[in-house]
Amino acid sequence: MNYTPMTLKYRCQSHLGGWKTAQSTNLKTLVAGIRHFKVSWVFAPLILMSFSSCLQAEEIDWDKRLQVHGFASQAYVHTSDNRFFGDSDEGSFEFTELGLNASYRLSPKIRLAGQVLSRKAGDFDNGSPRIDYALLDANLLGTPTFTGGLYLGRIKNPIGLYNQTRDVAHTREGIFLPQAIYFDKVRDLLVSSDGIQLYGHYYLDNGTLLIQGGAGYAIADKNVEYTFMGRDWAGELENNDLSFVGRVLYEHNGGRWVYALTGVSSTIDFHAGAADRVPFPAGAGLSSGELQIDYTVLSAQYNGEKWQLTAEAAYEDTEYVGISDSFAARNFESLGYFVQANYNFTPQWQAFLRYEAFHDINDWDGEETAQRSRESSQFLLDNFGIVQIPSPAHNNYSKAWVFGGRWHINPSLMLRAEYHIIEGTSILSPREEFRPLAEKNWDMFAASLSYRF
Amino acid sequence: MLRTNLRIVLVLLLLVSPPLFAQTLIVHPGQDDPQLSRTSLRAIFAMRVPQWPDGSPVRVFVLKDEHPLHVRFCKSVLGMFPYQLRKIWDRQVFSGTGIEPTVVDSEQEMLIRIAETKGAIGYVEHDTIDNRVKALRTAL
Repeated sequence: MNYTPMTLKYRCQSHLGGWKTAQSTNLKTLVAGIRHFKVSWVFAPLILMSFSSCLQAEEIDWDKRLQVHGFASQAYVHTSDNRFFGDSDEGSFEFTELGLNASYRLSPKIRLAGQVLSRKAGDFDNGSPRIDYALLDANLLGTPTFTGGLYLGRIKNPIGLYNQTRDVAHTREGIFLPQAIYFDKVRDLLVSSDGIQLYGHYYLDNGTLLIQGGAGYAIADKNVEYTFMGRDWAGELENNDLSFVGRVLYEHNGGRWVYALTGVSSTIDFHAGAADRVPFPAGAGLSSGELQIDYTVLSAQYNGEKWQLTAEAAYEDTEYVGISDSFAARNFESLGYFVQANYNFTPQWQAFLRYEAFHDINDWDGEETAQRSRESSQFLLDNFGIVQIPSPAHNNYSKAWVFGGRWHINPSLMLRAEYHIIEGTSILSPREEFRPLAEKNWDMFAASLSYRF
Repeated sequence: MLRTNLRIVLVLLLLVSPPLFAQTLIVHPGQDDPQLSRTSLRAIFAMRVPQWPDGSPVRVFVLKDEHPLHVRFCKSVLGMFPYQLRKIWDRQVFSGTGIEPTVVDSEQEMLIRIAETKGAIGYVEHDTIDNRVKALRTAL
């Protein structure tokens, strides 16, 4: 972890530079300001204070104000066919998660928190450390029945039951989150945003109502481009537009039952590069435009002593605006869902069974999309002599049965194993696998060892 | 006849007497009794309440997740299972939205830490309490 201070320092400086140039440009000052400024602004005092606290550990009861936690997890992934998290068809260790976080309480009402994350995930992520979140938590209102406040900075988006801590193995119900809802192929689009979110906790007689939501800038990276645009274009995706996220979560009877409704609305600009603009058929003939993604998640969970039942469903609406006619034809609405049952033999030993599925709502078995792909390939071949392998129906959905278990060796250390029986390849990314030739029916075995403190 | 009556009385006494392993909430001796409801206690032990009505920070102490007293406290006082609290704390700790309580190794350490920490709250077995801490009369 000796890279941490260096990396942070470097980022603080570069972001300070970014702030100066951004200062005079546009009127979206508050959130844009946070976006350029946040890392230096939020992290500098955090780092200084954690260092000074360490130095004066004898004088300050630092455990009252500062909490430091972290996690490390290594998984092994083996698939019968298809690449998922690296060369998994030969057995892959390319799924490593490392994180270190700190929370520092400035006063009873003000707290700073940040986490550095390194994630090696096949071809999706190379493990270079990044700031996962860095926020200021201002707890503005407190009564016996209500607490409320705001978060400012880079904030993990509260989506469904798992998004906020999706990279922490101990908080997941398996080695992989259900890919039908928590896509790893396009993780960063929804994982966090740079902006402001308000929260309110209402303590009712029979339960607790937790509301969180706000506005910020999504993080568009290459994985988003591969997933939504099919490949890495010369142009870039830019997150110049505000995204909105909100979740209402109700914990009935101390969390015996949990219900949640999440809504996300995200707009990402695509700036076509010179090579992308070359007219068809010599080029793709793209224009600059935008991607509009709306995401709605419904969640329900029962937490019993032995049994835990979880179900979530996500509706996604994606529209391509102004990029090209062929992209506009790709607009889609999808439904992803899973149902999972966990059984605790003891608090240490647990087994689970899950069914998960992802479908295009207007083309459940993917046949219509496959037909269009075949026609388009034929058209390209007949008119221009261009060979394009058509995309089969099973590229457009995925269904999987997953079973597995975990053993808490001690409160910090956990061993897991699970087996997936999968039909369809929609969870695969074009970044890792040439999808038109991907196997329709495939299996996956995974094992992991995870540590937390 | 007398012996039979005595037995009946003894059985009745056992039935109405408090459970053998009663846990009691304790706070720092300087703390007023806030008359906490189960809802408030859940919020406090979920680490969602940063300060007491007088403005001082709330400092929560618990035993380890698998400690028998912690398990009983969660079930009978909060009406929750230890893994539910752990899940709430983890979600807060690893998303930056909150913190987790301070974990102590024994009831003796619990008493010491609560006696010396302003704003502290925790729990011990009823017969472990001494005058260094204040026991709460909680309506449960």
